[in-house]
Amino acid sequence: MDLKIDPEELNACVQCGLCLPHCPTFRVTGDEAMSPRGRIKLMREVQDAGAPLTKEVLRSFDTCVQCRGCETACPSGVQYGHLMEATRETLAAKGKVTPRWQRAALMALNRPRMLRAGSAALAIANKFGLVPARLGLPANMPVRQAPLKTSGHDVYLFTGCVMDAWQRSIHAAAQRVVEAAGYGVEPTGALAPCCGALHMHAGLAKTTRKFARAMIASLPDRPILVDSAGCGAAMKDYGHLLGTPEAAAFSARVFDIQEWLAPNLARLPVSEPLDVRVAIQDPCHLRHVQQVHLATREALAPFVSELLELDDEGLCCGAGGAFSVLEPELAQDIRARKLTSIERVDPDYVASANPGCALHLASSGVPTIHPMELIDAAINNTPLPAK
Amino acid sequence: MTTTPTTSTLKVTDPVLLEFAAEVGASGKVAVVGAQTRWDVGGQPAKGVRQLGAPAGVVEYKPEEMTVKVRAGTSVSDLDAELAAAGQRCALPNRGGTVGGAVAVGEDHLGVLGRGPVRDSVLQVRYVSADGVTVTGGGPVVKNVSGFNLPKLMVGSLGVLGCLSEFVLRTNPVPGVSRWLQFADADPFAVFDLAHRPGAVLWNGTSTWVLLEGYLPDVEAQNTLLIKQWAGVEVEAPPPLPQHRWAMPPAALSTVGPLPTGEFVASVGVGRLWGQRPAPPTAQDPVVVELSRRLKTNFDPTGRLNPGRTP
Amino acid sequence: MTSFLDRIRAAAPIASRYGGSKFRKPTDALVADLEAALSPGQVRADGAQRALLSHDASLFDGGVAGPVCFPTTGEEVQAVVTVALRHNRAIVPRGAGTGLAGGAIPFGAPVVISLTRMNRILEVDVENRVAWVEPGVVNLDLTKHLKRIGFHFAPDPSSQQVCTIGGNVATNSGGPHCLAYGVTDAHVLAVEIVLASGEKAMLGSIGPQDEGLDLRGAFIGSEGTLGVATKVAVRLTKNPPAVKTLLLSFASVRAAANTVSAVIAAGIVPAAMEVMDQRITIAVENFVKAGYPVDAAAVLLAEVEGLADGVKIEAEQISAIGTQNGATEVRLAQSEAERELLWKGRKTAFGAVAQIKPDYYLHDTVVPRSALADVLEEIYKIADRHQLIVMNVFHAGDGNLHPLLLFDRRIEGELDRVHAAGAEIVEASLAAGGVLSGEHGIGIEKQDYMDRLFTSDDLDHQNRLRNAFDPSCRTNPGKVLPMAHSCADIQALRSVPAGVWG
Repeated sequence: MDLKIDPEELNACVQCGLCLPHCPTFRVTGDEAMSPRGRIKLMREVQDAGAPLTKEVLRSFDTCVQCRGCETACPSGVQYGHLMEATRETLAAKGKVTPRWQRAALMALNRPRMLRAGSAALAIANKFGLVPARLGLPANMPVRQAPLKTSGHDVYLFTGCVMDAWQRSIHAAAQRVVEAAGYGVEPTGALAPCCGALHMHAGLAKTTRKFARAMIASLPDRPILVDSAGCGAAMKDYGHLLGTPEAAAFSARVFDIQEWLAPNLARLPVSEPLDVRVAIQDPCHLRHVQQVHLATREALAPFVSELLELDDEGLCCGAGGAFSVLEPELAQDIRARKLTSIERVDPDYVASANPGCALHLASSGVPTIHPMELIDAAINNTPLPAK
Repeated sequence: MTTTPTTSTLKVTDPVLLEFAAEVGASGKVAVVGAQTRWDVGGQPAKGVRQLGAPAGVVEYKPEEMTVKVRAGTSVSDLDAELAAAGQRCALPNRGGTVGGAVAVGEDHLGVLGRGPVRDSVLQVRYVSADGVTVTGGGPVVKNVSGFNLPKLMVGSLGVLGCLSEFVLRTNPVPGVSRWLQFADADPFAVFDLAHRPGAVLWNGTSTWVLLEGYLPDVEAQNTLLIKQWAGVEVEAPPPLPQHRWAMPPAALSTVGPLPTGEFVASVGVGRLWGQRPAPPTAQDPVVVELSRRLKTNFDPTGRLNPGRTP
Repeated sequence: MTSFLDRIRAAAPIASRYGGSKFRKPTDALVADLEAALSPGQVRADGAQRALLSHDASLFDGGVAGPVCFPTTGEEVQAVVTVALRHNRAIVPRGAGTGLAGGAIPFGAPVVISLTRMNRILEVDVENRVAWVEPGVVNLDLTKHLKRIGFHFAPDPSSQQVCTIGGNVATNSGGPHCLAYGVTDAHVLAVEIVLASGEKAMLGSIGPQDEGLDLRGAFIGSEGTLGVATKVAVRLTKNPPAVKTLLLSFASVRAAANTVSAVIAAGIVPAAMEVMDQRITIAVENFVKAGYPVDAAAVLLAEVEGLADGVKIEAEQISAIGTQNGATEVRLAQSEAERELLWKGRKTAFGAVAQIKPDYYLHDTVVPRSALADVLEEIYKIADRHQLIVMNVFHAGDGNLHPLLLFDRRIEGELDRVHAAGAEIVEASLAAGGVLSGEHGIGIEKQDYMDRLFTSDDLDHQNRLRNAFDPSCRTNPGKVLPMAHSCADIQALRSVPAGVWG
């Protein structure tokens, strides 16, 4: 069966296996079928050798977190993300992956009012302990949130879907930090309701393309700052996804907020560093996809007393967008490895620039915080969340 | 066991080796004898066995390769002298015997921590099989995983699998400085921990000796470091070693029970002990015994090689 | 809560719909017995799994895996082997599948024993300077684990981030730092194994070798043909107090090779000496951006370690010898980060070549160090003759060559030319007094060259060794020895009931 993978890209893998330890699912299963090398081999078997799509083959494709840790580990430069996205798109089109209920849930992400209403209901249910812990909702999920206000038109702050509904306080902190650097901020809100990253993961590339075209039209000219690593990675990929000059130009205007802030640090007011030991958790889509994770360190360094590195070379935490909800056991096994690394450095906070990772870690008791919240606390004296 | 068809056209052509193979022959009980300095290891040789000596001499020494090809009958002293002339040394202990004897017994030099064990230094081995043909295992270069590791099997084999005739051994540069220090009252295990990769740490129950090797400034610095901790003096040589060898996990040396002080010298960090009486017999894994028996049978079906000895 | 393994069980039942003529359903009785001996989730017989485990990192096709087992203890390995014995089926142990000689490729649908789930570090015994580990522990994971107490596991093959200790034992792995430290067999004190008979044995001990033959030494490097390692005692090596890494640039590969010989001849044994030619340096630099000089014809990466003064002395000597031999630049790594980046470049070099051509064939021969320059020149000529691109990156200090022949398997005839060139490279190495393999092993890759290095009597004796451990040639049959010298292997390969596997 033609999985519609670019043959050149599929052929690039030499099957050396150097990706294996960087794959979270292989790490916890030891199963070649749950490794990048194995998945690529099976893609070749299906696309080139006519092997049938058995449930074991589908399972192999389905269990990929799409963290793309294998890409940075790959000396051959295999574009694994593209291979898996093409595979999922083809399979989704044939109804082999992403069942109808998942598609319905994903469509809600682009409808802010529906999402807000649903989130408020979830928040209330959560307060009464009615939501299963494995869904990893934030403990203090707000029922109502104060709206973000436009302070100027120098930069956009991309607010997105779930994050805006559940964790708007992070956007607020990010906005205050950017404003403190002397820039007027326009939160994107309803201008750009969703980046489509989760849809892309689920093989619904058509939807993502639709979102991308709409967003490109509604956010002209200015830099777009993103405080969610997953969204930033997706928006930086619009150029490849749509293949148009406009899309490429748009992607070039997208910045991870730490990436953007690092060269602007001198514009921030001088402040005493917070007396906290902070471990940096690199979201995969910041480290492996955007590859701007070092900026997080640069941006945070002046504001905290100690930065700590984890010793797992950026192995995925198991969040993976919707992965932790769809594959809870795998996600928990993967997280267990991350928790061990965190325990070894024993920090006050774990700074994560991706809301999905933060929620996934927090639901096992890790004191997570967004880098922007730390900087905001240092320069604006806003209170830090309880550890 | 089935015999296998011949495919290789390679042949041993060295006349010395061919002559030795002919001497060993294909029948009759035979034992290769060196200097008989460790003739007590592995049981008494059977009586009425034809004894013969292996060929002697250094065949080819390549200091720039750090390898030497040497016949089994060469004395370790002769080999050492030739290596020393080029500023090198090897892993074999010199207890008055031959190279072949040292490999067959397989006992390490007391400076094993600096020189490495004998079993790691034998790159290639040649021996005459029970069928009277010369067999080569391993290769002449310093790194090699071509095929099964016959050299390892021959180290410590007491010649019961084949009559050892020639080796290629790894050599190493002699360190700039080698210095023995003796401490009257030190904890030998603490000395071992503190010194950086010492050549040897010996202990006889009271005194501790340490061999420092390397570049002069490093040895001086290590010397100072140790002297600061314990009162010690530089000495010419280590203590003489008692005859019988014992083996145990390195940490078990601290609880050497059966031997009184003065009747042993122990190698700290190695687990080797030389005692004035033989080591008590240890229980052997029956599967390992069976494997060894099968090896012996496969290599020497009629039991003609060095009967009476068991490695 | 259902465990994760339960879920995998549920997701991957044994009956497979992955049909086709290539991969038929295995005999149910064997799978049922294996499942009974382990648990259903530890036995996989679906076509996808078997297709994947029919390969390793080598180029060889034609492997056919039978049921795949994932034991988690030595007892479970015994149970698997016993079932296989009962069904007269061969076994093939497997680690991370990074072997380049085809050593883990299964023939004749044997029971594949994947040891990836036996990945516990059982005990770190600092007093005895030893760690007991299971075979599936990843080499670099062990070294990272030991870092906190100031030790490491010395063998460091380029694949150390992924390869397992069991695999290291099977191939007697080397690595750049084996120049000073020695290869795996110098760092493995004891191995617990399961024989083809299902019996368990402990080979070697953590004390010095004393009574008995060195069965441990015979087992290490036997490429899985003598039994399955289930527990390994590895030596802990103290981390050196000082390390210096030098990067020397040269205007010719010959000058780099001569420098290596000259360093050894001067009585210096550095921790590592690695050479990369210009083509590979460019590919590597493109991946790691470590500051490798891309305009040099060859670079020499040399590392010295030990106590501070000696390290300084040796670094200066190597620098001087390099300059005498025409080094155009000598650079000293200024930080640990720079050092790590240089090594990352060296250790990922093989994969990086895929930027140039999609496939590569990585050779592995050893020549005397003094012959390095001549053999390298010959290798470039051989590649030219066959119109192939060759790159050279190698453990120069050991004389261990790793010529990489680049190709595209989709281009008709290109792989044939690669094989032809490879044969000539092997011959050139042997002619220079070298051997077939320094660290990858023989596997199925070089079986047919064995009689170019050994006489028939030599091979016969190697087979006698094999036979003592595995009289029926049931463990990893069809490897290492040329077929003519391992008749029983052929029988084992034919032992599969006709028609079962197609």
